[in-house]
Amino acid sequence: MNFALIGHQDNWDKIMSFMNYFSNGQNKTEPDKVKEIFSFIPPRKLFDIEVRSVQGQLATGCYIETFISPDELMFGYWKINVEKVREAAKYVRAQGAGIAALGGFTSIVLEGRDNSLNEDSNSKFTTGNTLTAAFIVKSIEKACKKFQKELSSQRILIIGATGDIGSGCVHYFSGKVDKLLLCARQNGALQELAHQLESKGLSVTASMDVNSLLPEADVIIAIANSAIENFDSRFCKPDVIICDAGYPKNLIEKVDGSMSNRLFSGGMGHIAGEYVCKPDIMNKLYPFPLPKIGHGCLLEAIVLSFCNNYVPFSTGKGNITSEKIELIYSLAREHGITEAPFFNSEKVWD
Amino acid sequence: METTIAFNEKTRSEVYWANVTDMLSQAINGEIVGMSNFAMLTGTIDDVHEMFECVEHSNCERSHAEGFMHMAKKYDLPVIINQDGYYWRAVREVFKKWANAKDYIGCIIIQEVILECFAVSLYKDVGHALHDHEIGQLFLAISKEEEEHIEHSIDLLKAELEKDRDGFLKKVEAVHYDCMTILAEMTASKDLKGHCGICGGSCMKDSLYSTNVELKLLRGNALNLYMRTLDRIGIPGVMSLEWVANLPS
Repeated sequence: MNFALIGHQDNWDKIMSFMNYFSNGQNKTEPDKVKEIFSFIPPRKLFDIEVRSVQGQLATGCYIETFISPDELMFGYWKINVEKVREAAKYVRAQGAGIAALGGFTSIVLEGRDNSLNEDSNSKFTTGNTLTAAFIVKSIEKACKKFQKELSSQRILIIGATGDIGSGCVHYFSGKVDKLLLCARQNGALQELAHQLESKGLSVTASMDVNSLLPEADVIIAIANSAIENFDSRFCKPDVIICDAGYPKNLIEKVDGSMSNRLFSGGMGHIAGEYVCKPDIMNKLYPFPLPKIGHGCLLEAIVLSFCNNYVPFSTGKGNITSEKIELIYSLAREHGITEAPFFNSEKVWD
Repeated sequence: METTIAFNEKTRSEVYWANVTDMLSQAINGEIVGMSNFAMLTGTIDDVHEMFECVEHSNCERSHAEGFMHMAKKYDLPVIINQDGYYWRAVREVFKKWANAKDYIGCIIIQEVILECFAVSLYKDVGHALHDHEIGQLFLAISKEEEEHIEHSIDLLKAELEKDRDGFLKKVEAVHYDCMTILAEMTASKDLKGHCGICGGSCMKDSLYSTNVELKLLRGNALNLYMRTLDRIGIPGVMSLEWVANLPS
């Protein structure tokens, strides 16, 4: 096995969908019953994945569900969730996978200072955040072209700017856009980042209050869900481009109908080659409106597999540079993996 | 230490002691079922050494039952021993079915995987809840001993899986639905089959709050250990997930 994706679900509808699939229609599982047992289920493989590059290389892998409950993604469950990720990592090693990506919330295990997951381990672990960031920034460039907006004159708001993916986007767009608008929950880290950028002569405004930044934003990249709780789209410019790169991607619920023509799911990639899941339940977990779509994190592990380069490409926090973004993006393109067409949960508008 | 226990005993409510009594009653009945199962298992075995081991296990379950009974006597707790109670009788009948078919492996899966996983996990949770009392300490000690029975079965069942993968998986599935269904009903939030015939008053599940035990945790932890054990044997994870998803609640 070349790669694995360790993941979790962000809502109970998806969970019900795959639990009903696994109950084989014998006994339609009830939501309350599933909620009672879900988080007690030990991590396990749910399906196999086979991907063929446009160059003909085959990579085989699997998806490992951690069974972290969507209701238990907060700090109080930190210890138990980290333990689940570590247990899933053991499973990856037992399967002999060369590389595993830690999707969504599970990436927290690699984003701290502790890199023990990768120490003395034949299987390597990556957050996959660099390719996710690459798909975000390349999609923004593409969207600007589509709507005939000059990137250099755009004011880009990054919600979750101090996180790993957010800071990667900040570095990438530094010096390429008119102004950076930064939003994050932790004021100390936010002000430090703003100060660093200002000292380089860049134009920056930073605030913990997202609504105070919205009126100025031409482009919005939303990565941190927690920072969009108060997001009020009435403050947005009518022609704003919105990249929803959070997990779950629920920003569309906060914008009015006309904006959905310019809101897309960010950090997603498209596979031009073959992409097969066995059993085919990927669409139950991730019901995308287009085929052969995958999260950037998973695709990073697949690209590294195609390159036979099993290294922890993305670890820690704040290590995503423009050079790394360009490197993983060009490797992905060589194998027919590019940013996904523009879509959101309502439609495809590419 | 003794002073603390004495103080707690006086201050603890009647409902607390009724709950502890029911816990002991369930444990004693379960151990007696285990003892009888191991004794019956000897009839399915040709290998004399395995036979000796079964008798030893049976004796071990007997000593556990006696240990719990001793505690009940010491604290004057009116435990109920009733092998005709709905759930334990159903478990016993399922075991008999597999033993009558002389299916040693089927019996091992029932006793050393399913029943022992539940015993280890439930005793551990109850033991932790009652940790400041010697009854709790006994639950914890017996939980540790029962773990050995699980360990005993794993290599044997791994070898069976290697020998005939499809046949073995079908057997585990059949045993699962036969036996786990009963335990799932027994630990469901509602008493699905009426009174168990073991609890002194109404269903003990309604008064678990008095001992700080949460039914969701009891059931969840037991399922967790069961699935982990199946994983260790080599049962595909999606298969056990399907089986568990189909259990009654």
